Amino acid sequence: MRLHSMAKVIRSKNAGPCLLTLDIMLPDAATFAHVVARVGSLRAQVAQRYRLSENQVTVLPYEPALAVKVTLPREIVSGDVGDRDVYGAQQHVPLLDIEL
Amino acid sequence: MTAIARLLDDFGRRRRPLRSLGASGQLGYGIPTPAFERGLASAPDMIGVDMGSIDIGPAYLGSGKMAPTRVGAKRDLRKVLRAARRLDIPLIVGSAGSAGARPHLEQTLQIVREIAHEDGLAFRMAVVAADVSRGELRQAIAAGRVRPMDTMPPLTEADVEAASHVVGQLGLEAFRRALEADVDVVVLGRACDTGIFASIPAMLRFPAGISMHMAKIIECASLCCIPGGRDTILGVLDDHGFELESMAPNRRATPSSVAAHSLYEQADPYEVREPSGRADLRHVTYRAIDDRRTRVEGATFEAAARLTLKLEGASKLGHRALLIAGAADPRFIERHEAIFAEVSRIVRELVCEDAVEDYRLGFRLYGVDGVRSWAEPPAQMPREAFVMGECIAPSPERAEEVIRTTKQYLLHHGYEGRLSTAGNLAFPFTPPEVLIGEAYRFNVFHLMDVDDMARLFPVEVETLS
Repeated sequence: MRLHSMAKVIRSKNAGPCLLTLDIMLPDAATFAHVVARVGSLRAQVAQRYRLSENQVTVLPYEPALAVKVTLPREIVSGDVGDRDVYGAQQHVPLLDIEL
Repeated sequence: MTAIARLLDDFGRRRRPLRSLGASGQLGYGIPTPAFERGLASAPDMIGVDMGSIDIGPAYLGSGKMAPTRVGAKRDLRKVLRAARRLDIPLIVGSAGSAGARPHLEQTLQIVREIAHEDGLAFRMAVVAADVSRGELRQAIAAGRVRPMDTMPPLTEADVEAASHVVGQLGLEAFRRALEADVDVVVLGRACDTGIFASIPAMLRFPAGISMHMAKIIECASLCCIPGGRDTILGVLDDHGFELESMAPNRRATPSSVAAHSLYEQADPYEVREPSGRADLRHVTYRAIDDRRTRVEGATFEAAARLTLKLEGASKLGHRALLIAGAADPRFIERHEAIFAEVSRIVRELVCEDAVEDYRLGFRLYGVDGVRSWAEPPAQMPREAFVMGECIAPSPERAEEVIRTTKQYLLHHGYEGRLSTAGNLAFPFTPPEVLIGEAYRFNVFHLMDVDDMARLFPVEVETLS
């Protein structure tokens, strides 16, 4: 299944000017467990889509909100020359069709 | 008796839950009146508002300009100031003027003084500026007491020289010193948003972990609710936990909506950091009281071995000019990368004939790569696209020279295979070139060890009457 058909929220935002944090919020415990069981594959696909190495990608399951948080370094520090998304609010799109 | 003295006196006679009102997550963008009034009718002990964030980018910190309009900031400050004085409860404002450097703080204080004068309000106000001097920064660098955050490079003396403002995120310790100056109103420069709502609990000896956790949530007003929003929220703190209730009847604070709030703009949802330590959220429980209120327990506080200050600074890059245009010709859109490169070269040859290449020129084609730099080109090119040219140069004149030349040569560029020989661009209006002001970048985002916050950030007291 693809993430966009599993998740109820998929969003991105800055966590400070150097990092991008992506939240994948899942609708129920079963879907959360499905994603958590595949964090290795999630990390690999995120790294490939954001052109990063796997060790630059942090994946953290957050059970209280049935969410998985992905944190990445930004390609360009927020607002610096060549940045295209100062708040980082539209950087979630490469996640949408990840197959897990 | 001041508002804080009255509150401390009341708690001295009878220990009870503390009722904190998070009036607005970002002061200056409007405080919805119905929810705010409902909050004021709920017997609050204090009102807190945050004005700041680093997410708005480097321009405000660099330039000294506020993010909200002065009119918006004054309207909202008037609302909270009048309410706090009417109820005679403390008002705490953090990250004054959005970026929280001296110019932002001064603009905010000037507005507060105007309101006091116009509305005949009398009060004592404590102010703490968050600016860190170049001298202190140089000493700290030399002593090896500054470390980069995240992906930043090490801080250099050149960065310190280049930064137009450097601020430190003050912690609850600074809010507490301000309150201990026996005041009604506290205004801080750049500050951790948690300090706004965790400082009074610290004075009243509520557990630090749960106080910080509550503070982190209510500083965003009703964002932790479903549906999330900007309406005022009430946080009721006791010795074992806290309860959240939005003052807007349609917004529900549910266990999952409150838990989810810890994810927001944070790399680690299990902790809340501030200079003196961190709240650990690993063992937190969220329980519904009813369908609109949630009770939260279980955060613990871990004191840091030493005080660390998060530094933020921005330096000027130059002046920014834009070219605003559209394109629909499929060949232009298909070949845009080569066209932009060719036009950049032509422009460079013209504007650098008797000057050095002292500017940066870039293009974004919205519809293709305006929002992000994609790993792959799109499967299909769009029917229309928005062309934005951007030049950053040392002076406004130079930026305009480059962008106007660019407009002319991009409009008429005879690229390979061109059919539309009368012009490549659709201008929505003229002039299509705009000078948008100074451009900045974050060049400081570092941690600095500090021994004595009070020496670096003294409290200033002002009496308004």
